[in-house]
Amino acid sequence: MEDRQREYERLIAPIEDRMMRAVWRVSRNPADTEDAFQEALLTIWKRWDRIRAHPNPHALIVHICINAAYDGLRRKTRQGKLLDESAAPEDIPDPSASSAGAISAAEQDAQVFRAIGHLPKNQARAILMHAVEEMPYSDIAAAMDCREATVRKHVARARARLRTLLAHLVPAVHKEEGSHA
Amino acid sequence: MRDKNANDAIDELIRGRIQVEVPADVEDRLRHRLMEFRARVEQRPSGRLRVLGYSLLHRPVVRVMAMSAALALAASVALVLIPTQTRVSRVFAAAAERLRSSQSLEYTIVLNAEPYVAVDFAYLAPGYRRISCSWGIEVRSDASAGKQLVLMHATRKYLVESRKQAESLANTEDIAEQLRSLPSVADEVLGEQWAGGKRLIGYRLRKAQPNTGIPGLTAFDIWIDAGTREAQRVDIAIQEEGKPVHQMQIRNIRAGAEIDRSLFDLTPPAGYTAIMAPGAKPPAGPPGSSQNQGALHVTIGYAAALAAVVMPMKGSYLQTSAALHTVEAYLKTQGIAPVGPPLGRYWSEQRWEAGYPVPPGAHVEAPFDLISLPAELTASAVVKGLWGKDSDGRWGSFFKSVIEQGYLPAGPAMEIWSGEDSKEWTQSTEMRMPVAKAN
Repeated sequence: MEDRQREYERLIAPIEDRMMRAVWRVSRNPADTEDAFQEALLTIWKRWDRIRAHPNPHALIVHICINAAYDGLRRKTRQGKLLDESAAPEDIPDPSASSAGAISAAEQDAQVFRAIGHLPKNQARAILMHAVEEMPYSDIAAAMDCREATVRKHVARARARLRTLLAHLVPAVHKEEGSHA
Repeated sequence: MRDKNANDAIDELIRGRIQVEVPADVEDRLRHRLMEFRARVEQRPSGRLRVLGYSLLHRPVVRVMAMSAALALAASVALVLIPTQTRVSRVFAAAAERLRSSQSLEYTIVLNAEPYVAVDFAYLAPGYRRISCSWGIEVRSDASAGKQLVLMHATRKYLVESRKQAESLANTEDIAEQLRSLPSVADEVLGEQWAGGKRLIGYRLRKAQPNTGIPGLTAFDIWIDAGTREAQRVDIAIQEEGKPVHQMQIRNIRAGAEIDRSLFDLTPPAGYTAIMAPGAKPPAGPPGSSQNQGALHVTIGYAAALAAVVMPMKGSYLQTSAALHTVEAYLKTQGIAPVGPPLGRYWSEQRWEAGYPVPPGAHVEAPFDLISLPAELTASAVVKGLWGKDSDGRWGSFFKSVIEQGYLPAGPAMEIWSGEDSKEWTQSTEMRMPVAKAN
């Protein structure tokens, strides 16, 4: 019993806040957050032995949390339930119709989430861990069980895709994109 | 460079839209999940079983058997993951059952986190109760005998009251009844905390149990040792309509421990003298005095803050007049004008003080003290007539009225003497004492 208490103290207790934050930041809805968090805990439970032996267990646990939340986000995005029931994937950004100043913060949130929800899975996870949790590439690589260079590639591709999808929300980017065109 | 700026901009956009803090209500729910998860981790089956399962899977000959074993293991894990009663709730249920079934119960109540205001409570089946207050009052009651003994240790006095009067203890007993009738399931799990090397799990009850009568109970947070499953502490919040919130903490909880029966003895200790039960024999007072007008009228309210220059004293209270003359003379030499009538404050004959209220910020030198009394909940009553007359009787009456109104003394007794020294018919005494809600 004592060992297991120590295991929890070592593996989970120091990052409880990070775990909750990671799920909430992606799910943004109390019920969805609770579901995703429970999913994450179930995964952690199943992989307990692997996590214990992992060289960077905290990164892996946060990765599991983000994955669980992202899976929920992706499900909602595919079902068209992310704020706008009628939003089709191709409708996510509409640069010609709106600008950052003209749309509400809630709508901006929705557009960002929809855009992330439509990224390939590894790109989405990598950009979320990098941009949202500000995890270094080495930690993300350890959590995703891949090389650091691969993570950099996922992040770069995710950014490129998001720059296109969300250009209208970042005027400077939009301008640069326009100058490239 | 352009790419870097573009990357920064998109990262910034995502962070700006996503980096938000978890709302408190969501955090509470997630912490609850974490706590349950922690309990499961600590109950996790031995790693050897899992190692055995994994090793079997690597042997093709027994793979089918191993898969069966794995399924059985998965089923047992599922039972742990989806328990009908979690370990956390079992801890509460066990503590509640222990409190319910114990023949004795002891604890200390501290009011509003004020160390001075502490009450030790002891219960012994079938109906013995004892309350010992930090300000020197002890009440022993025996429900079967239908009487209680009130001891005032500071003045070595006692008062024996009947069963009907003993019911005035009901508010204090409600706390005990609440503890002894906890439901099997709490309304809310508060989380965990470490205290004194023990892992405590907190549970909240949002209302008083039906068989108790604690008006205004808003939270009854009980913290239980996860190891021994014994209640360690209870944080109580009470707010009655239009009144400030009272915080109480129950500490040193001991259920089922051996209690010395002599604590409940209703025989007055040697050397104590009986005081007259208020109302039993109205003392004769001068014409127009309050004693002739009926019972002492004690009101509870917030008294204004007060600063006073006093002379610390010990020994006979007959020195009061001399002490006041000394303080008065000192104030004259300092050019300080009293802002009210003289007063005395009493802890015991070994510690009391007398003096005058003064403007705040006055400077005094030894042997005098400048005391500052905060604005606080205070019981007060004004008695017309000769200063010092029937002091024991009216203070006994005062204490009883305070207790009957659901309060307990929370500080030393004070008297403020108005009127003129040479004109008895102008004299009156205001009795004051800080109090706190009893339940």
